[in-house]
Amino acid sequence: MGTSAKEEMNKFWTKNTRLNRPVSPHISIYQWSVPMLLSISHRGTGVGLSSGISAFALAALVLPESYPYYLDLIHSMSFGPQFLAFSKFALAFPVAFHTFNGVRHLIWDVGKGFKIPEVYRSGYVVIALTVLASIGLAAM
Amino acid sequence: MAALVRLSSVCHRGVSPLLFRSSSLIRPLAIQKKDHDCLYLISAKIHATPSNYASSGSKAASLHWTGERILSIALLGMVPAAYYIPGPAVDYSLAAALTLHGHWGLGQVLTDYVHGDFKIKMANAGLFVLSTVTFAGLCYFNYHDVGICKAVALLWSK
Repeated sequence: MGTSAKEEMNKFWTKNTRLNRPVSPHISIYQWSVPMLLSISHRGTGVGLSSGISAFALAALVLPESYPYYLDLIHSMSFGPQFLAFSKFALAFPVAFHTFNGVRHLIWDVGKGFKIPEVYRSGYVVIALTVLASIGLAAM
Repeated sequence: MAALVRLSSVCHRGVSPLLFRSSSLIRPLAIQKKDHDCLYLISAKIHATPSNYASSGSKAASLHWTGERILSIALLGMVPAAYYIPGPAVDYSLAAALTLHGHWGLGQVLTDYVHGDFKIKMANAGLFVLSTVTFAGLCYFNYHDVGICKAVALLWSK
């Protein structure tokens, strides 16, 4: 008896889009907090990294030459060492952030760390670890 | 609906009547008149719903959630493995784990932002195609080219 949650959600959306009702401002007016930023960044880095992996896989299927060939091609364009270090940092940063914040999520999943001060503290730890790890990886 | 009726009846008359309802499945250990405990005992009462309230549903969603967490932990373990024991075993494991983790993650994003039966179906079909091509491409790379671990090592050596 009764409707499922999915059915109720669908009913909400079909009715409101049919009636052309506007959505109240929410993310455009609500004051951003550190946990909110970290949460959307976790999603953003996830989507970005996934897209990168898919693009890489597609390239592997489509491009005629092998990986070392293209790597040498890029290297022969002789970008400065700062550019290479920055590229490594730019690659390492989303991976590091998504990994560390992912661990933070797993800790929540076992039920720990939900008090508000703990949420902020673990968030700052994730940011610090991300920056340190990215610098460390870029230096390798 | 019945749970809501119980809520208002308890809050007006205190917790004692709860103990004497024959359909109650749990017996609170201590009776306190403070509102804080009143609410706690009410929620404990509501959560211990008798089987005539709970509809038998599939555990698919719950198992999916658990699978997502287990996969995340496995993927976490593959990072040191890729560094210390690179090779085809880790290459193919990474290909599978990365693709599936991304597939499930993007699936949650779609569930959050895509509404309407047809759009949901189309979006999930597109995601399925993307994930299949991704896995195929990564396996192709592992087989015909240097493999994921070596690729990262080469990229970093420059």
